Amino acid sequence: MDALVLYWNLVPVTLVQGLAYALVALAVMIPFRILSVPDLSSEGVFPLGACVAAALIAAGVSPIAATLAAIVAGFFAGVTTALIHLKFRVHSLLAGILTITMLWSVNLRVLGKPNQPIFGQPNLFDWISPAILMNLNLQILVFAVLLAVLVGALWWGLQTHAGLALRGVGANPSLAPALGVNVVLYTSAGLGLASCFSALAGALLAQQQGYGDVGMGVGMLVNGLASVIIGESITGRRTLLRQVLAPVVGSIAYYQLASLALSIGLEPSDLKIATGGFVLLTIGWPVLLGRKTPASRAF
Amino acid sequence: MSPNDGDAPAVELDGLKLAFHAGTPDQRIALDNLSLALNRGDFAVVIGSNGAGKSTLLNVISGALRPDAGSIAVDGVDVTRAPVHRRAAMIGRVFQDPMLGTAPALSIEENLALASMRGRRRGLGLALDHAARSRFAALLEPFGLGLEKRMAAPASLLSGGQRQVLALVMASLVRPRVLLLDEHTAALDPGTAALVMQATQRIVAEGGLTTLMITHNMAQAVEYGNRLLAMDAGRIKLDIAGAEKTSLSIDDLVRRFAGDADHVLLRSRANMAAGPADATGAKG
Repeated sequence: MDALVLYWNLVPVTLVQGLAYALVALAVMIPFRILSVPDLSSEGVFPLGACVAAALIAAGVSPIAATLAAIVAGFFAGVTTALIHLKFRVHSLLAGILTITMLWSVNLRVLGKPNQPIFGQPNLFDWISPAILMNLNLQILVFAVLLAVLVGALWWGLQTHAGLALRGVGANPSLAPALGVNVVLYTSAGLGLASCFSALAGALLAQQQGYGDVGMGVGMLVNGLASVIIGESITGRRTLLRQVLAPVVGSIAYYQLASLALSIGLEPSDLKIATGGFVLLTIGWPVLLGRKTPASRAF
Repeated sequence: MSPNDGDAPAVELDGLKLAFHAGTPDQRIALDNLSLALNRGDFAVVIGSNGAGKSTLLNVISGALRPDAGSIAVDGVDVTRAPVHRRAAMIGRVFQDPMLGTAPALSIEENLALASMRGRRRGLGLALDHAARSRFAALLEPFGLGLEKRMAAPASLLSGGQRQVLALVMASLVRPRVLLLDEHTAALDPGTAALVMQATQRIVAEGGLTTLMITHNMAQAVEYGNRLLAMDAGRIKLDIAGAEKTSLSIDDLVRRFAGDADHVLLRSRANMAAGPADATGAKG
């Protein structure tokens, strides 16, 4: 009973978390599902966004410019992964790991030290209204509105001619060039776009928590992956709208489940194996029940 | 790369050479100084044994392979060095594998919308609106497959034959200067193959499309097209056109092609193709 009360009291906090990290889940979903190019870059791009924003804000740059700079940095990190993958014919997973590894050094250079507090400095939330960081409900509202706008834009964008070409590259990469689609250009733009979401998440989290840290990204990718998988098991993937909503729904659900697990006594350090096990279970149970062959793999 | 509408042939290949594994003991000449001109409206059928260079020829025209030497011009525009996605503005292509010619995860109408922008700038306008949907449905209707009633269904739900018809419509949606068909009925059962060939004939005739079709099916080679090219060892061994092509029978073809190293293989194929059902010749 106490555990449930504890969980219930944490709901506003974990809801903010779920909504904020939904940006990362979106960044994971785009390469995996839209482009069919599994990409791990988020793990390095998320702290990149945090570090760029924190370093610039600490240097006195306006939080808006700092956040935009973080997004641009994220875009180039995503393009880097795409170009390593396409130009050097490196598997996209390895390309992502190379990017993450190199970004570690970049992030340290950007920040100049492992951790940069920006507490008390101007930030995007205070710029909108100083009441936000004092009030969890307002934070929920801010993130919910932001996600509604971004998911709506993504949903619309994927139905345009350019968006359809992006999905075409993912659906059949050998057909796309025959239909005049430049695969290198579209894959780069797609991974760049996904990384924009990760970097934005990092920049916002740094400003919400009051510091940027090079270690912020650890575990980000698997959390995002878990969110996408959970989300898809709830929304399904039948329509494009369901596909773009899945990461948001999944991220909210994932952070509630994690909170519930912690409330009933799981140690925070056990959360990673619980998440990994949960991902495996979600992917694995249809196979174990014989409903799906492993060949139609989830990821 | 704007196509010139002068008197240039639709496709002009000049001195194409391509060797795989060049300079190694495994070297294999796929194209041996091959030159060919296709006139506007030509429907050329290419036959030849495995390894004769047929697919290589198509891949070189489409840009999937770069020749070691020689040049490729489409409607007078030199495209020898243009990447696939650039020359796609002028070239339509249907692959042998029905899985390759369509995007399985996209719906029928999305596949068509994707193909409708071949060679054009893709902007941020919505890909599908009411007008586009009805235009696409009207394009599919004449084929009698009922696809026009399933426009929102993913292409992955279509049968092989349905996919090849969709792929044909996609390849010809923006009028190609040349249509490349790479054994596009080879993976289908005979009944479906015949249906897809009817669709092919219809699309080629309606658009007056310059077409280059590879086939292993001798009956198809005799029945379709105004020109027949037989390839061997990276060269064009036979080029039959006009009245001679019109009156050509499978037996003629095998006799004409005899003497080449692969004629035994060719004959066995011809016998298979001209089974008892169409021993009288498949003239349409």
